[in-house]
Amino acid sequence: MKNRQPLFHVVKRDQAGPGRQLLAYVAAVVLALAVGAMLLSVQDVEPVTFYRQMLTMGIPGSRYPWRAVENFIRLFVPLLIVSLALALAFKMRFWNIGGEGQFIIGAICAGWAAMKLGESLPRPLVVVLMALCGALGGGLYGVFVAALKVRFGTNETLLTLMLNYVALYILQFFAETKADWNFFLDLESARPKFAKFPDNAQMLTIPIGPFNLNLSLVAAVVLCVLIFVYLNYTKRGYEIAVVGDSPNTARYAGMKVGKIIIRTIFLSAALIGMAGAFHVSSAGILSASVTNDVGWTGVVVAWLAKLNTVGIVVASLLITVLQFGCQTASTTYPSIDANFANLLQGVILFIVLAADFFTRFKLVTRSKTGKEAAK
Amino acid sequence: MEEQRYAIEMRGICKSFGSVAANKDINLNVRPGEILALLGENGSGKTTLMNMLSGIYKPDSGSVFVDGREVAINSPEDSKKLGIGMVHQHFKLVDVFSAADNIWLGDETSGPVLKKERYNIIHDMAQRFGFDIDPRKKVYNMAVSEKQTLEIVKVLYYGAKIIILDEPTAVLTIQETARLFDVLRRMKAEGHAIIIITHKLNEVLEISDRVTILRKGEYITTVDTASADEQRLTEYMVGRKVELNIERPVVDKTRPLLEIRDLTIKNDEGAVAIDKVNFYIRGGEILGVAGIAGCGQKELCEAIAGLRSIESGQMIHKGDNIVGLSPKAILDKGISMSFIPEDRLGMGLAPSMSITDNMLLKKYDQAKGPFVDRKTGRAEARQVIKDLEIVTPSTETPVRRLSGGNVQKVLLGREIKAGPNVIVTAYPVRGLDINSSYAIYDILNQQKKDGVGILFVGEDLDVMIDLCDKIMVLCHGKVMGVVHAHKTSKEELGLMMTGALDLSNKYEDRPAGIARDSRIEETKEVEE
Repeated sequence: MKNRQPLFHVVKRDQAGPGRQLLAYVAAVVLALAVGAMLLSVQDVEPVTFYRQMLTMGIPGSRYPWRAVENFIRLFVPLLIVSLALALAFKMRFWNIGGEGQFIIGAICAGWAAMKLGESLPRPLVVVLMALCGALGGGLYGVFVAALKVRFGTNETLLTLMLNYVALYILQFFAETKADWNFFLDLESARPKFAKFPDNAQMLTIPIGPFNLNLSLVAAVVLCVLIFVYLNYTKRGYEIAVVGDSPNTARYAGMKVGKIIIRTIFLSAALIGMAGAFHVSSAGILSASVTNDVGWTGVVVAWLAKLNTVGIVVASLLITVLQFGCQTASTTYPSIDANFANLLQGVILFIVLAADFFTRFKLVTRSKTGKEAAK
Repeated sequence: MEEQRYAIEMRGICKSFGSVAANKDINLNVRPGEILALLGENGSGKTTLMNMLSGIYKPDSGSVFVDGREVAINSPEDSKKLGIGMVHQHFKLVDVFSAADNIWLGDETSGPVLKKERYNIIHDMAQRFGFDIDPRKKVYNMAVSEKQTLEIVKVLYYGAKIIILDEPTAVLTIQETARLFDVLRRMKAEGHAIIIITHKLNEVLEISDRVTILRKGEYITTVDTASADEQRLTEYMVGRKVELNIERPVVDKTRPLLEIRDLTIKNDEGAVAIDKVNFYIRGGEILGVAGIAGCGQKELCEAIAGLRSIESGQMIHKGDNIVGLSPKAILDKGISMSFIPEDRLGMGLAPSMSITDNMLLKKYDQAKGPFVDRKTGRAEARQVIKDLEIVTPSTETPVRRLSGGNVQKVLLGREIKAGPNVIVTAYPVRGLDINSSYAIYDILNQQKKDGVGILFVGEDLDVMIDLCDKIMVLCHGKVMGVVHAHKTSKEELGLMMTGALDLSNKYEDRPAGIARDSRIEETKEVEE
């Protein structure tokens, strides 16, 4: 037989330190931006200026820089909360990809509270009630799937995925059905069109000079801390980790696995629903594209961050900068639109996965092994 | 004598994974018509070495000769072409395929069409080698020994002249092992070169012509079996003198702690797994449970731990009925169950979590307030690491990073730490080397001296005869009898395991497994 050797083979590395891993991620992002730069050059866009505009999000030189920050926060908060909530479910190896649906149901429930109670109750109470309604609606929508899984062993990935479309079409139904009962719509408009929420249903803000700090950001930060503590230090968090790692072991340790799954998924979906409520409350209106794909992007963020709470904050910041930055930068460049952000996001994810591989394995080339063998 | 050419020769083989050297400068050779035993403790690199012959790994350096010619084995396919066939410890069979199709699957000459004659071709071929297999039988319907036979037929069908068997006897009864050895001798007579990986010394002495011994990835020596004995082989293998006797301390026994009456359990498929079983365990005794793999041992353990509902029967612990109690309630009564499944991590441990977290598994809920008490867990982890000499970088190391022996010590250490009065342990030394196994036997004996009742579900009959006080034999879920370990023999146990010998009604006045001083009469129902 010929003494044929493959060009290289894959060799496992020893455990990489956190510093090395961090370096790999930074390198991955830089590499992704370089790929993006090539694509920009092809379209005759100067990459450096584009990236500068993108990363500064058009804030310097703007007449209303605080406006840009406010809009940035509006995009950032839902993504952060949804990613955190998904991480909660993923930690338990429950593949909740129904963030979109839970977000929409949360938004609809919050919209219901806004339209029904917005006129009669004080503003803080309405906002809180909207958040609670959103949480309850989203939570129940998620628990439905968890209960089916616990009771009948159904596949949660399929069910949450399909329920996304159910929720989407419910929302579209409300958006397009002109009828007396449909209190979501603007009565004055001839075409079906969502009505603006009453003023008392607008998200509370804390004015700092000309800048209005959206209270949902404060809520999101508090949630971050709470979830970090919940996952890492509480008994319930411990249960989630054990169930995710080995359901048999959990059962054997006397845990009620079904109960834990239902509780955790309710929490996860409720947080997503609440994010939906925050979002519509900040926007002051429902819309057919209310989610801004946050249920999908959240999955990306949760995985980029390896379900680590701090990582989620960083990754969701990064992704929001990409999206919001591209949006603002594209106003100057007609050939580039906001989809470029999605493209970059995809490239980053891809390269980070590759970087992950190279922190765990290395390639050894033929010539090197050949030399070793010759020794 | 004329120098015969080696069927296979490995020279100076090195292989490392990351910074861990699995094989360091290993030499090995086999002649045609010879059986070579490859002996070594777990983690000594036996399987790694053989995987380089079967093309799964590539050596970092060193050379391999087949029939005197140097070869490079880059893939299992190359290995097959060179006439090397390996029967892996975990069978590589497709469960839903028939025996014939499993063989057909890997045959390159068979073409894309499943021909009708394949059943006859394979049947004839098996007959020629003296095997009795039904080519139409689906693998999932086969007993373990049948699967193994199929694996051997498969490598022979592919024309292997060099056959490697990785721990082939681990799953067989004594009679099946004898039959396998007959097959091996016949293949040897036909001029096949055979390498058999094992760590059972009696088998090495029985079957092999020469023994190559590895220790911690290093080549120690090769000796002729005729000039070797158990004591010497062990010293080569472990690197120092080892006492090969298992203690069986005599302890005052208490009244039955756990009594099982007429217990019937169904398995996941709804078939009867345990059929009207009676037995009891006293404090200060070890009751062994022997049986071929999959004879209801798992279901029995799960039922006692409250993880599986029973069909009928009684389970009485210290006079309290435990049927229908939750796993938690049973745990609280002091019944500890540890089952080491084949993958060794499946039950009882959370593999990605730290030793500390695993220590807390059964008691995390006892801490006051909403938080997990990791401080206590860490202290306990330190204690267990110290007491049982667990090798680990720290208490925060995920359990999956530890080696097999250490994983099992963590599990057993936690169970003992909880201070149980009944320990149900299944395969606690599965896959462990001699040293670790003896450490585990010592732990169990210590518990026995402290008055704990132990149910020991085991595989190795030699060990069970030495360690246990009594042995209950199961065959297809039925009790074949309970025998005193010091009065029985391996042959008797083997016959009982296959159902050929039924001693369950040896004493007419008292069926096996029912205690004279039973506490069942005093039974009271307990509230959960």
